[in-house]
Formats: sequence, structure tokens, C-alpha cells
Amino acid sequence: MADDIVFDLLHSEIINYALEQTKTTNGSKEVDLSVVEYIGFAAGYKIMERLTREWPRFKDELDTMKFICTDFWTCIYKKQIDNLRTNHQGVYVLQDNAFRFLTNFSNGHQYLEYAPRYVAYTCGLIRGGLANLCINSIVTAEVQSMPSCKFHIHVQRT
Amino acid sequence: MAVCVAVIGKDNSPLYIGGIGNDPNADNELSRQWLVHTALDALEERLSTTNNSNTNSSTNTARADLRDLYLGLLYSTDTHKIYGYVTNTRIKLVLVTSSTSPGSNIRDAEVRTALRRLHALYADAICNPFHLPGDQITSLKFDKQVKSLMLNNV
Repeated sequence: MADDIVFDLLHSEIINYALEQTKTTNGSKEVDLSVVEYIGFAAGYKIMERLTREWPRFKDELDTMKFICTDFWTCIYKKQIDNLRTNHQGVYVLQDNAFRFLTNFSNGHQYLEYAPRYVAYTCGLIRGGLANLCINSIVTAEVQSMPSCKFHIHVQRT
Repeated sequence: MAVCVAVIGKDNSPLYIGGIGNDPNADNELSRQWLVHTALDALEERLSTTNNSNTNSSTNTARADLRDLYLGLLYSTDTHKIYGYVTNTRIKLVLVTSSTSPGSNIRDAEVRTALRRLHALYADAICNPFHLPGDQITSLKFDKQVKSLMLNNV
């Protein structure tokens, strides 16, 4: 649908823009995705207030993660997370078998080296959302075969 | 009617305190701050009982849903009644009503609606690109909407 694609296009243009910026400032081939990650963080932080408005208070951390996998994901990616695993000690692995930003351009190993660019925003989005719910975390992503993607959430306990 | 509305951040810093000035006290701003400040301890207490809800749920039968964001009447003084609401993101919303002015019989459902609407207004206010998370809310639009909420609803 046309209205959905607008977000996808904006997302890919933001990445292109960020890459262009770092290329001109650094002059090196190194890719700096922290800007994209931060954009995701700010968006995730703000959207969380809206999304949790109609929700009862979360019971615990796992309850929060389930919310991320279902409602949060549906709101942004129009589908739910396919698999959630946890070691019950603060590590959560979210697997999406058809990640929205990757389905458009690859179905296998082509462009695999560029995949990190297209998951940085989402890493920030999850981190920002959790930060607003008072859970500090580190979010990393892993892409082995597109379009599936795994997000690792390490909750930081102090 | 509502005399004061406050939004308190995660770290208990005031993000917004607004009131309409029919308070008989000369020092309106200070008395508002004081009223809201005294509510914070009561809020913390309610939240901690919510967390271990299983053990004392039988004693708290008055509150049907312990996971409700709306915490109800926190406490009342001779002149005011103080209601609380805590969002999932630990933002505390406090509404103070005067129990002396005419038309002071406010139903619980009305306060709940007012606080839910305030939450909606807050969610809109933080999506303002000129607002930094954790800062005070300076938006005039938010201020105006809250004032009209206080005048109309409760």
C-alpha cells in the first residue's frame, strides 16, 4: 500500500543522508550509524507514551517485552514478532522472520553486508521505548539470512 | 471543581503545575506546590502496594483493578481532595479539587475521565519537537488545553 511505503522510503533516505554526512565529515569508509540509532531512540521514547496509554500497568519485565513483541511491533511493522526467547536473567532475543525493512530488497545473502544499516533505526527504537519504561538496555541486531532478523536485548541492571 | 493539576516526572521533578486562581490563599503558587508535593509520598505508597498485589489483594477489595493506571483518591484535607494517576512510563499526574467551593461533589468517574484526558494531552505535548524529555512543559497550547479541561470537566 502506498501509505505504508512512505515510511519505508523515508527510513532508507534517512540512512542514505546519515551515511552521506559521515562520509563528508570523516572522509573515511567507516560507517557511522549512531545518528540513525539516536533518531530511533528519540522516536521510540516519544511513541511509548502514546502506545501504553490504554494499557494496564505492566507486571514485570517479561510483560513489558511481550508488549514490545505484540502491540509495539504491530504498530510500527504491521506484524508481530515471530519468536521471543529469554534466559530470565535480562537477555531477550526477538526474532522477526520477515523484517519490514529487509523484505523489500533481499531474499537470501545478496546485500548482506549492508544489512546493519537497515536495523540500526529499529535498535534505537526498541532501546528508546524501553528507556521510557524505565528499563535501561543495550540492543544489538543480528542478520544471518535476509529477510529474517534477530534483536538481542541486554537489560542493564544497576 | 479542580483547582490544580500537576505533571510530575520520573525523578519526581515537576514538569508542569497549573491552577486556576480561586484559591483563597494569597500565595497560590506555593500552596499548589505544597499540595502536590504532599501527594507524592501517598503515590509511592500506592505503587508499592500495587507491586506485591497478590499478598494483600484481599484487603484492597475497594480497588477492583490493581493494575489500573488511575489510583483514585490519595487523601483529603479539610479544604482539598487529591487524586493520583501514574502512567506506565512512571509519569505522575495529580489533580487537586477543592472541597469547599460550591459544586464540590465530584464523582470518581469524572476525575478518572479528566485524568485520562490529561494523559492524552501529555502524550501529545511530549511529541512536540521543541520539547526535550525531562524538561518542564512550556507549551502554551498545552497550558490552555489543561486550563479548559479543569474548567469544563471537573
